[in-house]
Amino acid sequence: MVEITALPRYVSPVNPAVFPHLTLVLLGIGVFFTAWFFVYEVTSTKNSRSLRKEIAVSLVASIFSGFGILFLLLSVGIYV
Amino acid sequence: MTIFKMLKFLLFLFFSQLVSAAIVQIDQKLVNKNVERSIDLTSHLVKVTAAITLENTGTSPISNYLIVLEPGTSGNLSFISVKDALKEELVVKPTEVAGHTDKVFYNVILKQPLGGSRTVVLNLEYVLTEAIVPYPNEITQKEKQFVRYFGSHYFYTPYSTTKQTTTVTLNSRNIENYTKLKPVSQSDSSIIYGPYTDVAPFSFDVLSIHYENNAPFLTVTHLHRLIEISHWGNIAVEENIEIVHSGAKLKGPFSRYDYQRDTSSNHHSVKSYRTILPAAAYNIYYRDSNGNISTSTVRTRKDWIELELRPRFPLFGGWRSSYMLGYNVPSYQYLYKKGGNEYVLSMRLLDHIYDDMHVEELETNVVLPVGVKNVKLNAPYEVERLGDGKTFKYLDSLGRVVLRLKKSNLVEQHIQDLEISYEWDTLTLLHEPVLLAVALYVLFIIVIIYVRLDFSINKSEKKE
Amino acid sequence: MSQTYTKKSSISKLNSKAGISSLLIFVILLLAWIAGFSSRLFAVIRFESIIHEFDPWFNYRATAYMVKHGFYNFLNWFDERAWYPLGRIVGGTVYPGLMITSGSIHYLLHLLHINVHIRDICVFLAPVFSGLTSISTYYLTKELWSKGAGLFAACFIAIVPGYISRSVAGSYDNEGIAIFALQFTYFLWIKSVKTGSVFWAVASALSYFYMVSAWGGYVFIINLIPLHVFVLLLMGRFSNRLFTSYTTFYILGLIMSMQIPFVGFQPIRTSEHMAASGVFALMFAVATLKYLQSMMSKSEFKSLVIYGGLIAAGIVFGTVVLLTYAGFIAPWSGRFYSLWDTGYAKIHIPIIASVSEHQPTTWFAFFFDLHVLVATFPAGLWYCIKNINDERVFVVLYALSAVYFAGVMVRLMLTLTPVVCILSGIAFSGLLELFLRDDEIAKPEESGDEEHTTPKNRKYDKVGRVPKMKHELNKEPDGIGPNIRTIISVVILLLLMLFAVHCTWVTSNAYSSPSIVLASYSGDGTRQILDDFREAYFWLSQNTADEARVMSWWDYGYQIAGMANRTTLVDNNTWNNSHIALVGKAMSSNESAAYTIMTALDVDYVLVIFGGVIGYSGDDINKFLWMVRIAEGEHPKDIKESNYFTEQGEFRIDGEGSPTLLNCLMYKLSYYRFGELKLDYRTPAGYDRTRNAVIGNKDFQLTYLEEAYTTEHWLVRIYRVKKPDEFNRPRIPVANRLVKSPNFVSKKSTKRKRGTLKNKPVIVKGKRLSSKQS
Repeated sequence: MVEITALPRYVSPVNPAVFPHLTLVLLGIGVFFTAWFFVYEVTSTKNSRSLRKEIAVSLVASIFSGFGILFLLLSVGIYV
Repeated sequence: MTIFKMLKFLLFLFFSQLVSAAIVQIDQKLVNKNVERSIDLTSHLVKVTAAITLENTGTSPISNYLIVLEPGTSGNLSFISVKDALKEELVVKPTEVAGHTDKVFYNVILKQPLGGSRTVVLNLEYVLTEAIVPYPNEITQKEKQFVRYFGSHYFYTPYSTTKQTTTVTLNSRNIENYTKLKPVSQSDSSIIYGPYTDVAPFSFDVLSIHYENNAPFLTVTHLHRLIEISHWGNIAVEENIEIVHSGAKLKGPFSRYDYQRDTSSNHHSVKSYRTILPAAAYNIYYRDSNGNISTSTVRTRKDWIELELRPRFPLFGGWRSSYMLGYNVPSYQYLYKKGGNEYVLSMRLLDHIYDDMHVEELETNVVLPVGVKNVKLNAPYEVERLGDGKTFKYLDSLGRVVLRLKKSNLVEQHIQDLEISYEWDTLTLLHEPVLLAVALYVLFIIVIIYVRLDFSINKSEKKE
Repeated sequence: MSQTYTKKSSISKLNSKAGISSLLIFVILLLAWIAGFSSRLFAVIRFESIIHEFDPWFNYRATAYMVKHGFYNFLNWFDERAWYPLGRIVGGTVYPGLMITSGSIHYLLHLLHINVHIRDICVFLAPVFSGLTSISTYYLTKELWSKGAGLFAACFIAIVPGYISRSVAGSYDNEGIAIFALQFTYFLWIKSVKTGSVFWAVASALSYFYMVSAWGGYVFIINLIPLHVFVLLLMGRFSNRLFTSYTTFYILGLIMSMQIPFVGFQPIRTSEHMAASGVFALMFAVATLKYLQSMMSKSEFKSLVIYGGLIAAGIVFGTVVLLTYAGFIAPWSGRFYSLWDTGYAKIHIPIIASVSEHQPTTWFAFFFDLHVLVATFPAGLWYCIKNINDERVFVVLYALSAVYFAGVMVRLMLTLTPVVCILSGIAFSGLLELFLRDDEIAKPEESGDEEHTTPKNRKYDKVGRVPKMKHELNKEPDGIGPNIRTIISVVILLLLMLFAVHCTWVTSNAYSSPSIVLASYSGDGTRQILDDFREAYFWLSQNTADEARVMSWWDYGYQIAGMANRTTLVDNNTWNNSHIALVGKAMSSNESAAYTIMTALDVDYVLVIFGGVIGYSGDDINKFLWMVRIAEGEHPKDIKESNYFTEQGEFRIDGEGSPTLLNCLMYKLSYYRFGELKLDYRTPAGYDRTRNAVIGNKDFQLTYLEEAYTTEHWLVRIYRVKKPDEFNRPRIPVANRLVKSPNFVSKKSTKRKRGTLKNKPVIVKGKRLSSKQS
């Protein structure tokens, strides 16, 4: 059996100190795309609406918001 | 791998066979040349340490030494350990001895077999709980707490003892009475019995001391310790503690007026106690079922964090309280990487609650991250492993494995590290954010569909 | 009318501006939500996430029960821990809407594995719902006036103290969600009146159903909507839209409201609900007449209306009176009477009058809770009356009735607040439309404004700019110079800023105390937390038998049940006056008389609140006269209020106080051993800081009770009721005892007392005990 303390210590892949900054950046981008999406949904008419654009914008929005929410949770102390 | 395991198992079997073969009888050649025993009765625990000098009066080497518990104390034994002169731990195993089935024996395997007419020094240490009994067992608020202890004047041993002394340490000078088997002397708060010479094996003579003891008689009746690992760099610890004052019960009224006037620190009630947390602990919370308990102070020391906990009310004899203490520590303190995707958690199975603590029942649950495989457990002492549970934490869809460990009757000496190794894939870290993103995306899709649906309804209305 | 305009404008600027405007509206509403949510968090930040006050503790306990045992068990819950020995059928005596709401949120979150404790959901429910309230207020005002006014109203209601007082985090009470349900029902009702669509009427009835399940204040809706319909009929504004929406709403609402166990058959059996059915009948009569009108000649119709109307009215009135007389319809309840006559409760129902929130409102309270809105809402009312239409009739009636009720009871300030916000929103919107017409003037202000005002003020600029609703004010003369416009806009801005400051100040200082945790500030500004209530309740929960019964005044019943989990005799659900009177009698009798009551009620512990040490004014001695009054109401022979006053008619606790008072149980329990306590060097021992007097009866012992626990600051005192064998046993000399204790155990505590025992057997080694003694 190897002595435990000789092993390398496990460190989080993301430094906990940057959690709040990451939250801000990711959520900011996420919210921007979300807003874009909804403004697009409201302003476009049935004819001018393009499904591809909607899906693309919402995908970007959901990915950024998803990670943003995760880091928000992490930075407030809810370690998932 | 499996071959290795089998080998290990065989080896284990072989050794245990060896051990059981060796213990059947008491080797009378072995003599306790000198026993210096000290019984510490300053708290509510009986802490016995004995320095035993062994001598092999025969010629053939002897490899084991037997320890026998005093009659009636087997249920109270919480911890036992034997060290040699170099402070190295020796293996101690409970055994049975032919012809003495009514007694509880522990077998100590010596590092090297003791040759003829050689001597060796062993340091025995054991802790008994609930062996100090308040007497009278009900007192009023103003009275002092008196307790009684029953033991033996002689070191209880299966071997004959040439010379022995016993020092009993108490925490007050106020001794009601104590048995006086000469030679005996009392100085300040300690009593010295002996030296007694040439004591036969299994000699037992009741020693009883009735003295004042206002140490906090606290007992943790149930401790539920929860350790949660997050590979985002955090380990959360939460302890649910049920505590009771196990000293003499409070008789009659509790008067706040008298309590406020009595400012002497030496009182049988417990106002506060200190808990020591790891130095890296942060986000400490101390609450109970009714919310935060505002009366605690945190002091940061160099190597640890000292938490002064005040229960909501002072604890008198028989009064109970319960609370929850939680904190976070960064994962690099206790989590190690063992190459590849294997990780080892090395964390205390039980942590400090108060000095001279006594835990009646401990349940430690370790929540491992999502998707661990091949979990291996290495406990510092024998613990009961209950069936693994499964729990769902924030945003969990797969569930996490919970290791559940249980042990009863623990003391401070049981604060030792538990090692859990498991295999875990780093990619699982993305499980939660992807889940979140997918959930949000579903919402967006719903909106996209809804917008289209909405139009069809409007159309039909327009038609009307 | 406004709707057509907005439609037109929205169509014209569909692509470019509609997006920006809807985004703006969304952002403003979101900010209003966030502002409202955060300003309700003072208590959580200062103290912790905890349930406040009294009633919320019951709601929390009931919710926790529901979450644990399921909805059906909750409906069938018989709580044997309350109202001992009677018990309480909880499922049938609560409005379950609150519990169901937070229970379903809890269920939903746990389904998604977001493990939030039910307590946190309960704590944050009201702040979250305040956001929903402001959104529904926005929609309601939008229907009544314009989008701009709606945004104003939404921002107002998000932070107005009159609503915050009932919806801070931790104040887990029915009102928290009921105001949302109220506003939403009204919105849907207006919508259905405007469109005449069955869909909106059904939605309105559903929302009404939610309101019925949430709060007893639903009676306000079921009287206001018929009143609205009735007035519209009187004004000759009958239409098929009205007919459709009211009949649909009434029938569905009636049937659904009867599904709530606590409401049951009340909607068809009590006088409070009769107006609705009367209007329902009237509606049909009018509709029939309208139909007949199209078939008959004018004179025929006239006589038919007169005679038919008279006969119909007579029949309806007669039936109602007859049914009331026969007992099918219950007459007005006492609580209802107290709404008409403020003196009624004081004379007939002391238990209602004893609650401070049932007192008539002072003028100060109006300003305190509404600030500038109290001055602007008449302006909005005026705008509405001037440009009257079907739905504005509603808001006028709403305002008038709510103003009346708010004047009668402090508590009903809550129903006034939303309408004040709506009308003030209309007033401000109208004013700004007048003075901010020129965009050039508004712009420089806006830029300088944004840094230092709250989000609420920022919104208003945008409101002025976004929807161009010039329709209302077309006739106004436009002879206002740019300077005056600027000045007035700045003044309005300042007013709004002051309003925001006032709201935050009031919320922070008046409405954000959990009241179970007290904080005091010492001279150097450090805060000291007085946690005595929880200390006592936790002591009860840990160190008394599980089935122990605790007697206390009813105010603390819910807290004892919620935090200590012990059986109580009376609690805040004051359904049984005589039981409360019995407890009041025990508290106001002398010790031995109280003991007979307490043994009859199996009381194990008595809990009293005593503020004399720290100067806490809400303690039991200050409430004591209400106990006496309530007890006197039921036991006039034993308890007389006048006995508790001095001859001069004063209520004094010092040496000159009446002997009855100085020897009653409450007095003794509050002041037991207090006479020995010297608080500081300037005051004599036994000085009561709350009442600023030295207590009159200092040196007394308790015979039938013993002090079990007193908290650190003496705020809560708990006494154990002794069993009969503990105080009443004649002492039998040792020689005469039949059962002799075998070995007498020495209980001496120190060595010094050695030798004081009589007949101590002397044990000498080797000699038998008996021979020595004989």
